[in-house]
Amino acid sequence: MESHPSFSVLSALIAKYPRASSSLFQAYNDIVYAQQWHDVEVVDLETCSRGAVKGRKRDTEEVLYVVPCSLSETLSFAWFVSSFMSLRTPETNPPFIFLAITTQDASIVYYKLSQGIVKPPV
Amino acid sequence: MSDSETRPIPIRVANKTAYVWDVDDIATIRSKHRICGVLTGTLPHLSQQNVFLGVPLVLMPEEAVFLVESGAAVLIDDPKAYLQPAIPQLQKWSAEQQESIRTQLAYSETKQAKDNASPSRALSEDALRKRKEREERKKTQAALAAKATAEEGGLDVFAQEGSSTPTAPSELNSTLSLTPTSDLPPSTPSNATNPSKSSSSSLPPYTIVIPASASSHEWYTPSSCTYTTVESAREAGVWDYPSTLAERARCGVFKDLWKQGYFMGGGIKFGGEYLVYPGDPLRYHSHFAATVIESPMASLRPMEIVAHGRLGTATKKAHLLCGWDDEKQEVSYLSIEWAGFG
Repeated sequence: MESHPSFSVLSALIAKYPRASSSLFQAYNDIVYAQQWHDVEVVDLETCSRGAVKGRKRDTEEVLYVVPCSLSETLSFAWFVSSFMSLRTPETNPPFIFLAITTQDASIVYYKLSQGIVKPPV
Repeated sequence: MSDSETRPIPIRVANKTAYVWDVDDIATIRSKHRICGVLTGTLPHLSQQNVFLGVPLVLMPEEAVFLVESGAAVLIDDPKAYLQPAIPQLQKWSAEQQESIRTQLAYSETKQAKDNASPSRALSEDALRKRKEREERKKTQAALAAKATAEEGGLDVFAQEGSSTPTAPSELNSTLSLTPTSDLPPSTPSNATNPSKSSSSSLPPYTIVIPASASSHEWYTPSSCTYTTVESAREAGVWDYPSTLAERARCGVFKDLWKQGYFMGGGIKFGGEYLVYPGDPLRYHSHFAATVIESPMASLRPMEIVAHGRLGTATKKAHLLCGWDDEKQEVSYLSIEWAGFG
């Protein structure tokens, strides 16, 4: 992991949150190399004890947030609410986040979580 | 209809399940209170068919609680509402039964007479004569059998003497089973367990109407077992929903979604507690399958997000996580969809 080109970007958060390090590493690499998002940065989500990923999809302007977690973790409703809270700043208030669920075999799946009752697209 | 719009709707509780038996009430709670329930009644001889169901309407417990709490309905402990009928009440009921049977017999008689007056031309003289003989034979047999029953001391409402000769009402009443001194319990209105087989087969058929709802009986008195609040019904041991945190959460979420104008149906088909419709389910598809989470700290595994999220996406629904906070009595929502990548 230390020799990977992503490591220098992630090292601080990996050291700060070792339990969430594998999910963050996997999600970050997937976003950068497989999904090929632009302007990818990492964010410190202190209330969720982990780093999150921020960036734009190709050819879009909207800034999106990805919160990684492992399939074997046990989360709670309050955990999700707090992740929204800690991403909220005076300038940005993301209406939704992507939850990146990672597994041991390196597969990853993303789910879109929106706050409130949000109708699915027709 | 105007009557059912003003009085509280009777929700009849049997074995802690809430039923609505009146079609006007069912229409009112659906159109005015936006509560659907599920029709569960089927036909006795077609009990397997489940396409066309009728009364009674079964309410989800949270629907019943909501209706009672909003003052639109009352809970009635139905088994207790049937008092022991008094003799005059039973006599009246019995007289009405007899009246109905008499009307039906008179009708079938006139119909038969009419048919006999204009026999079909296809029948030959010989056939007609034979048929007449058969009928005569049957008639004498019936008369004999009826006589036998009467001599037995027939207390039978269902069997009736004299198939073709009209019977005077006084005679009919004398055959009724209003004998509280006998060893039969007085609440048994007829000795249906002792039918006279010989005569019943030869009588012209008539229908015995058993109403789906028995609340029209004179001895049906719900006033002593009507509860206007969930609490009073709970104290009486009639109703105990909601009694746990999970049940309180369901009631809270149901109420909150209802307030926002949604209709809720059972969500078992999509692995949730409710299906959430933007309007009447007969007019709209549901947009959400909802799961109730009983507290903010209740554990939630990522696998649940995957399972709910992917199923919803495949059915053009979002999955709604409804988080109940029992301290604040508040609901917050998270909508889940597949992200569309990865």
